[in-house]
Amino acid sequence: MKNKNVFMVGWEYPPHNSGGLGVACQGLTEALADNTAITFALPYHYLEGVNHMNIVSCVDPTWEKTGKKILYPPFSTYSSAGVVTEVSLNKTISPEKLRNLPTSQLEQKVQEYAHVVASRSKSVGYQTDVIHAHDWMSFPAAQQLQKKIHKPFVAHVHSTEYDRAGLAQGNRFISETEYEGVMAANRVIAVSYYTKSILVNKYGVDANKIDVVHNGILPLKKPADPGSHHFANKRPVIAFMGRLTLHKGVQYFIQLAESVLKQIPEALFIVAGSGDMYHELLLTTAQRQLSASVLFSGFVRSAQRDMLLDRADVFVMPSISEPFGLVALEAAQRHTPVITSKNAGVSEVMTGAIALDFWDLDRMTTSIIELLQNSDKKAQVISSQLSDLDNLTWTHAATKVRDSYMRAILGK
Amino acid sequence: MPKVCFYFQLHQPFRLTDATVFDVGTKDFGYFSKSQSQDDNKDIFIKVADKSYRPMLRLLLKLVKKYPEFSFTMSLSGIFLEQVEAYAPDLLEILQQLAKTKQVEILAETYYHSLASLYSETEFREQVELHENKVFELLKVRPSAFRNTELIYSNKIAQMVEDMGYVGMLTEGVDRYLWGRKRTVPYVAQTKDKMPVLLKHAQLSDDVAFRFSEKSWAAWPLTVTQYLEWIQIYPEDEYVNLFMDFETFGEHQWEDTGIFTFFEAFVGEFLKKKWNSFVTPTEVFTPVCDRKIRKHCLDKDHLDTYDVVEPISWADVDRDITAWRDNEYQQDTLRIMYGLETVVKSQPDSQLLDDWRRLQTSDHFYYMCTKWAADGDVHAYFSPYSDPHEAYRRFTIMLADLQERLLP
Repeated sequence: MKNKNVFMVGWEYPPHNSGGLGVACQGLTEALADNTAITFALPYHYLEGVNHMNIVSCVDPTWEKTGKKILYPPFSTYSSAGVVTEVSLNKTISPEKLRNLPTSQLEQKVQEYAHVVASRSKSVGYQTDVIHAHDWMSFPAAQQLQKKIHKPFVAHVHSTEYDRAGLAQGNRFISETEYEGVMAANRVIAVSYYTKSILVNKYGVDANKIDVVHNGILPLKKPADPGSHHFANKRPVIAFMGRLTLHKGVQYFIQLAESVLKQIPEALFIVAGSGDMYHELLLTTAQRQLSASVLFSGFVRSAQRDMLLDRADVFVMPSISEPFGLVALEAAQRHTPVITSKNAGVSEVMTGAIALDFWDLDRMTTSIIELLQNSDKKAQVISSQLSDLDNLTWTHAATKVRDSYMRAILGK
Repeated sequence: MPKVCFYFQLHQPFRLTDATVFDVGTKDFGYFSKSQSQDDNKDIFIKVADKSYRPMLRLLLKLVKKYPEFSFTMSLSGIFLEQVEAYAPDLLEILQQLAKTKQVEILAETYYHSLASLYSETEFREQVELHENKVFELLKVRPSAFRNTELIYSNKIAQMVEDMGYVGMLTEGVDRYLWGRKRTVPYVAQTKDKMPVLLKHAQLSDDVAFRFSEKSWAAWPLTVTQYLEWIQIYPEDEYVNLFMDFETFGEHQWEDTGIFTFFEAFVGEFLKKKWNSFVTPTEVFTPVCDRKIRKHCLDKDHLDTYDVVEPISWADVDRDITAWRDNEYQQDTLRIMYGLETVVKSQPDSQLLDDWRRLQTSDHFYYMCTKWAADGDVHAYFSPYSDPHEAYRRFTIMLADLQERLLP
């Protein structure tokens, strides 16, 4: 197959990423670049430079009226606390605030971005075989470009407004943009079957138009350092890591703590992350008399993040709705048994982890206790998770994405 | 003109470091200072010593020497004295000179400026004893009258204090327990032996402590003449009890507000009238009494009872204990703290005991207060943390570490 030229419309890219989207774009483009020429649009000036693709900055001149260069996305769309860099937190609007912004502001930024991207159609047109856009902020740009250069458009859905709103309606402008994007697209890539089902059931997308491509994970640069020697070595540690927001189910984590502590009073629960529910969770912890047993680390940076995943005896991800859930794979890489919600895309590919209904606190409690007390069970879960990881590479994902391009180009 | 009783509180907590969750159970972190060279408490103490402790103590020493009729009272928490020794030992000398004179009374209190009186009589008594020993060790005096942390008081606490043998106690004059009675006369506590108590004159105390530099206040700028006029209203046989934080002078009210010159001038002016006098609590509680002419006698049977069922204090508008024990943060951390008493004391680990006790200092719980309006401003002014949630979060990390140390 002849090498393809892809024009990707992105929104964020490491290091200035607020979460999984940037990480996924990096993993995917690095693997795709082997035999695909990628041009990657970003709504800000990207100064770091990468070798595997050509990054183009599509900044609307009006954003720089004050003379300051735009070095971050206009707003951050999602984040899984752990990977938010301090800088981007300060410079961009948090996902919770985003939802409350006047729609006109969001719409304006997204439209302005679309306009700048589309204005490059002439130079882009010749050398592009397919347009690939990541999530709703980029869809309008891809649609405008599609109209101008008449090339197929692949919409990649990393998360939907239904996920972010905890399976509720969410922001109407965002869900409409999402809807229009996936409808206009020639093909849709969903990060999980779970996300595909939302697209089919909530947006009415034709199931045949959707390709599921699970995210991969990059191998660790330094080997994992599992064990209890890092801190709190006299007690079992159970960790949550993610944005402290409704759809991540962090409130259930506190309830789990309460029920596990009844049987293992010395257990230590650590909530890592920040978000709109932070104060409410702190108060709940005190109300339930768990002050010395549920600790909040706040937002954790790379070294601490790795340490927590290395140290944790059990990692729990009780999300109400999780399109993928990369952090569960990261925990698995660090030899930590994972309990995920069934409503998490990651449970489709990491079958070695324990998947339960997020609302089934009894079973979750039993599973946590079993993993803490039964070392055979724990070892078995860890090793089967590790073998799941063998297949979860970005190279596999890239192959499937290329297939999706072919279907888009061939109209199948 | 009434008698004036000045009492100043000297206290600084050991504030918590920004230790993280990842420090729990590791031995290489301190609850109260990161290292010898990185100690926020030291920095704060040195700053307050420069602005307030040193200049005001020197002024007081000068006034004591200049006016033999001038007297005042101080209470110094044990952890304040520790910080003097560690961070500003030159202050000790001034304190010792002051304590030596008959014009200065030193009060008893809990060593750790704690809320132990509300939770554990055993712990309360132990801390009071620790404090008394510390005061004696450094200042060579043994206190005879008592003041509890933040003037927290109830019938039950008064009984404990009486049982410990103190001659009397200071507290706040709270309207809901005064029922229109004066706060300028001594009362007796609702205790077996009717221990006498003196009540703070909140209005006149706060005119200096809080309102002195408030430009929106009708009486600003407060003059000595004006202040004397307000005090003169009270008759000769009554007491105007001006109780305040020592840090009022130079720290809450900066030097440029004129607070030091105001105080010096006030003492001088007040003593110009021969019939005016300063008193200290023990002089009121155990007077040299001339029964024949019934002068200077404290006849307990004729004193009214100050019957306080629920704990009061000198803090916030409500003058209750909600500054430290109101929301869930405070209630749960206090519950856990005092729940550890038996097990902490069963360990042969004096460092553990001291850490546990330093965590009892009332300020930690004050910082967790989430009350609003004017009180919230005061709490925020005093807090070293960004907000009450952070005060709670940090405290829980120390608590978890304390528990870890107690695990086998």
